[in-house]
Amino acid sequence: MQKMLCRSFLLSVLFYLLLFCCSTNAEGDSSIPLINPDELSYRQIQFVLPQAKRIVLDNGIILYIFEDHELPLVNISAVIRTGSNYDPAGKEGLAELMGTLLRTGGTQSISADAIDESLDFFAGSLSVSMSRDSGSLSLSVLKDNVDEGLHIFSQIMTNPAFEESKIAVAKKLKIEELRRIADDPQKLAFRELKRLLYGDNPAGRLPSSTSVHNVHRDDLTRFYTQFFYPKNIMIAVSGDISSEQAIMKIKKYFGSWNKSIQHFTQPPIPAKQKGHIYFLSKDIPQSVIITAQLAPGKKNHDTYAFELLDFILGSGGFKSRIFQQIRNNLGLAYSTGSFYTKLSGYGVFGAYAMTKSETTANVLSHIRTLIRDVQTSVIDKKELESAIKSIHNNFIFSFHSAEQIALQQLVMEYDDLPGDYLAQYRDRIAKVRTEDLMRVANTYLSLDDAVILVVGNETAYNQLVFSFKNVSRIEGSL
Amino acid sequence: MLNNSVKRYILLIASILFFISMHGKAFSYDLEKKVISHTLENGLKILMVERHLSPTVSFYIRHRVGAVDEADGRTGSAHLLEHMLFKGTKTIGTKNFRKEEAILRNIAKIGESLDRERMKERGADKTRIDSLTKELEALQNAHKKYFVDNEIDRLYTEHGANDINATTSQDLTSYHVSLPSNKIELWARIEADRMTSPVFREFYSERSVVMEERRQRIESNPEGQLYEQFLASAYIAHPYRRPILGWPSDILFLDPGYMEAFFKSSHAPNNTVIAIVGDIEPAATLNIIKQYFGSIPRRALNPSPITKEPTQRGERRISITSDANPSMIIGYHKPAMPEYDDYVFDVLEYIVSKGRTSRLYKTLVEKKGVAKSILTANGIPGSRYQNLFVIFAKPRHPHKSADIELSIYEEIEKMKTNAVSTRELEKAKNQLKADFIKNLDSNLELANTISYFEILIGDYRYITNHLKIIEKVTPEDIVRVAKKYLVSENRTVANLVKKN
Repeated sequence: MQKMLCRSFLLSVLFYLLLFCCSTNAEGDSSIPLINPDELSYRQIQFVLPQAKRIVLDNGIILYIFEDHELPLVNISAVIRTGSNYDPAGKEGLAELMGTLLRTGGTQSISADAIDESLDFFAGSLSVSMSRDSGSLSLSVLKDNVDEGLHIFSQIMTNPAFEESKIAVAKKLKIEELRRIADDPQKLAFRELKRLLYGDNPAGRLPSSTSVHNVHRDDLTRFYTQFFYPKNIMIAVSGDISSEQAIMKIKKYFGSWNKSIQHFTQPPIPAKQKGHIYFLSKDIPQSVIITAQLAPGKKNHDTYAFELLDFILGSGGFKSRIFQQIRNNLGLAYSTGSFYTKLSGYGVFGAYAMTKSETTANVLSHIRTLIRDVQTSVIDKKELESAIKSIHNNFIFSFHSAEQIALQQLVMEYDDLPGDYLAQYRDRIAKVRTEDLMRVANTYLSLDDAVILVVGNETAYNQLVFSFKNVSRIEGSL
Repeated sequence: MLNNSVKRYILLIASILFFISMHGKAFSYDLEKKVISHTLENGLKILMVERHLSPTVSFYIRHRVGAVDEADGRTGSAHLLEHMLFKGTKTIGTKNFRKEEAILRNIAKIGESLDRERMKERGADKTRIDSLTKELEALQNAHKKYFVDNEIDRLYTEHGANDINATTSQDLTSYHVSLPSNKIELWARIEADRMTSPVFREFYSERSVVMEERRQRIESNPEGQLYEQFLASAYIAHPYRRPILGWPSDILFLDPGYMEAFFKSSHAPNNTVIAIVGDIEPAATLNIIKQYFGSIPRRALNPSPITKEPTQRGERRISITSDANPSMIIGYHKPAMPEYDDYVFDVLEYIVSKGRTSRLYKTLVEKKGVAKSILTANGIPGSRYQNLFVIFAKPRHPHKSADIELSIYEEIEKMKTNAVSTRELEKAKNQLKADFIKNLDSNLELANTISYFEILIGDYRYITNHLKIIEKVTPEDIVRVAKKYLVSENRTVANLVKKN
């Protein structure tokens, strides 16, 4: 087989050489210009939005399935409406610990150690993660181990045991993790920023060693009972399994799970904080600078324009304004740029840079100027067109694995986005005009609302107080 | 442009080697059948895998040159060169290359004079430094008129690229990107050009960027400092002792002249492997490669001599003091692939630290509760030369590093006296098989894997050729290897001690 392929290659290469010998020579001669890469032409790509199958089980579990039989792998994910936003005051860290304990705390029918041994032996990976407004469990197994994997996966979700000894280990490890956050300037900065940006909102309340210490087994079971019931869960199955098999197996392992709806109220949307510059002292030669503020949330129509604005400002690669100015032109940072996170009901925009203490104020001024620029000067049409083209062409990478395809559609429904959201996405991006960018820049990025945090040494502090008014020192929350 | 991919490579190596040792034999055979291999006349090696789940394609270009090949006093050259290759070419990013070239020559001349003066430190002529600095700035400003920044990134980004990046390791320099599958020619146009005609624009400001990168990864990062000092102690002569980013005093004086020579002696087609995986039509893809890369001339490679590491004669212990919680690294010298014992270490690594039931995790984190985390890696910091088996561990307060160190040694001694059970061996193999298959799920990872073995071993099929050797690994091998290498005289221990 290999030989045959090689031979057919040789033939085609020979053919090619005959056909292109002149131009091939030209390619090697630097005096003759190469084709301008902007003038290369490409065939059209055939891309049909892949569709996962959607089923609703009798007990209310929503199931998405996407088959892909190339590799003998099956991925199963469950998404649950829960999250650390629901942590009770004084017990911050509860949601995360519950997630950890689902994975490590055993079930009523299988002990924690037996689960670990079983998963390690058939090499199934099972992880649980908890974000602010959702929780997810992911199982990845070889095709032959789907039943063993699903048995554990379903028991964990329907009958967790929360073994006391495992709770003790998880709490101690979480407290140790908190103890070590301040060792890492970036982790420290992003943690403290949440507190400053969200104020009293649940999103601004963070786990501490005291709050973790206060979490007990009955808190975990109560939290679990509140959120884990069929109508609050969506499952995605993808990989080397037929739809019929997937439905049959999910019914087998979850079909008899009947638990009534629990009622919980969604946490409030964070209120805008007053803009300010905060300084947290740490003896490091390089400052971490972050400026952040609230931005449009997932269902807000401004997201399209805002996504482009963020791309142009600092997330669109080397050409984006913050990167180009601070890293390229000035050589003042290695990591710099912006980010835009869309959440339910609100979003967050941030810009960041890490620069030596001596240039801290200078870099912060540059970031603020670049943000002010998009509010006061119309963005060049070409710059917008380039951003639109980039996002348009990159869209297909949102569907390059079966798991991604199934989850993508599940998340659309979780977020209550319209059914044609993905199909319409590129057109909506393409319709954004330069005036929309200026409008969203002025609506969301007022410098007066920017919550700025600098973590750095005393040189950085002296620089900031020299260049900016109202710089306040804060103490870390750890 | 990260440079911390070494560890990922090691995991990959381990997974692939292991997978072969197990039942997935049929699977490895399939992979070999799927890889199409071709060598151009100029020595450029091309590997292709066709798969059509998504209309995308991933590319890896690897040159067999890394930090290990730098001259002393020039550390950081390979890494800065990797940054410079994003600055465009004679035809990408220029408005008028003839004018640019003249200015760039002057920039290099003034920059080198300025560096020479600054090197005199206290004996330097401050007035001369000031006037040269001004002259350099004026030239840099004049240069701005003639070029467009970041055109390589702009072209890729506009055409929908994912994962545009490059890595420099001790052993290799690699450039990778994923694109929609109709953009193969764009990739070839850019990459062939930067392999032959890069232009080192903004050299001196990029050097400052790398200093910031060092501040971020090392000076402000206690773990980075510990790792750097650990390697500098575990190796006393071999260049693996030096940081990939370079020592700060070397970075400050890296010069474009040396870099150009370094580039020419390493980025030759006969020192390069390309892997392309995804929605391709192989014959057509090969034609494009031929068209763009075929005429790049083969070049003589003149690698510098590499000092061999002398045998370690006793334990080495170092510590660094930092405003951070305690952490430790323990390393043992060992042979690199393709030595048989390296495969035994791959097995050993999975048994001791992969998964919640692995020996070190189970004992130190769960049962004794003395550690916060424990990881091991086989093949640090590279694989072209003899390397290390390394253990990274953090104690859990109030336990001390000394407590976990003792527990680690106890576990190591158990490996020497009691052979591992067949179930434990099988478990490790099952995990590696699964890891390997999961890794194939991504075009980029598959391109990464096959190009890595091809450039490092000289043939990606090395992995299948070693099937039989791997299958021979027995519990007794693990005992023997533990007894031979995991001994105190062969050990380097680095401790991060919290500043009071």
